[in-house]
Amino acid sequence: MATTATAPEAMAKVAEPPRVVSPWNPANAVTASRYLTLPLLWWAVDHGYHQYATMFIIICGLLDKLDGLVAKVFHCRSAFGELFDAITDGLCYGFGLILVAAYGWAPVVPVVFVVGMGLVNTGLRFVYIKRAGRAVNFKSYAMERIVGYTGYLIGFATGGMEVRFFYWAFVPVMLVIVLHDAKRMLVDVIPGAAGVTAAGAAEAEGPR
Amino acid sequence: MNLVADQTFRILLSVITGGVAGAWAIHDLVFIARLRGADRRDPLVADQRFGYAMGIVIGMIGVVGTLRFNGVL
Repeated sequence: MATTATAPEAMAKVAEPPRVVSPWNPANAVTASRYLTLPLLWWAVDHGYHQYATMFIIICGLLDKLDGLVAKVFHCRSAFGELFDAITDGLCYGFGLILVAAYGWAPVVPVVFVVGMGLVNTGLRFVYIKRAGRAVNFKSYAMERIVGYTGYLIGFATGGMEVRFFYWAFVPVMLVIVLHDAKRMLVDVIPGAAGVTAAGAAEAEGPR
Repeated sequence: MNLVADQTFRILLSVITGGVAGAWAIHDLVFIARLRGADRRDPLVADQRFGYAMGIVIGMIGVVGTLRFNGVL
C-alpha cells in the first residue's frame, strides 16, 4: 500500500541539509592509488618490458572504472571526487603519453598535440568553474569517451599495436571534441548557475 | 621478460581492443537511437547525442585498428 508523507515529514525532508562527504573516502583512495602504477610503468618502459608496461596501464585504466563503482557502493560521491578523478586522468594519461613518446614507442607529433589539447581542456575547465562560481566538474559524454581512448593510446604504444594508425586517427577526433566542449564551457549558459534554471538554460541554448 | 607468449599477448590485445571497441560502438548506436524523439534543445540531450556519435566513431577506429593489426585490412 502506498503511503503519503505527512506535512511535518515533508517539511523535515525539505529542511534536511545536503550530505557532506569527506574527501578521505574509499572512492578517492582508489583514484589516488592509480598514481602508484606510474613508477611501475616507467620502470617497465625503461627496461623495455612491453607486456609489463601494458599490464600496468591496464591496471591504471581498470582502477579508473573501479572508483566510480566504489563511490556508488559506499555512497561517497562528491563534486571534489569527480574533479579529483578528472585531474588524475589528465596526470596519469599525460605522464604515460609523454613517457612512451620519450622512449620512442609512440610518434612525438600526435603526442604533443594530445597533451597540448589536454592542457587547453583543463584550462577551459577552470574557466567553467569560475563561471559557475563553485567547484563543479564539467560533464561531457564525448570527453568521457576520448579519455578512454587516451588510456588505450598508451597501451597501443606499449603493446606495439598499430601505433601510427591509432595515434593519428585520435588527432581529428580530439580536435572536434575539444572545440565542441570549448563552446559549451565558454559560451553556453551553465545549468544550475546562480539565477539560471535548467529550463532557462535550455531556453537560452535555443534550437541546434 | 614476458608475462605470456607473444602470440597470446597479441590475441589479448586484439580482444581487449577490438572486443571493447565493437561493444562500445554498438552500445552508443543503441543509445543514440533511443534519443531520436528527445528534445534537441535540451543541453543534456544535445551533449548525449554528440557524445554517443563520437563513441561510435571511436569504436569504429578501434575495430578497424584491430583488423589492421591482424592483417585483415
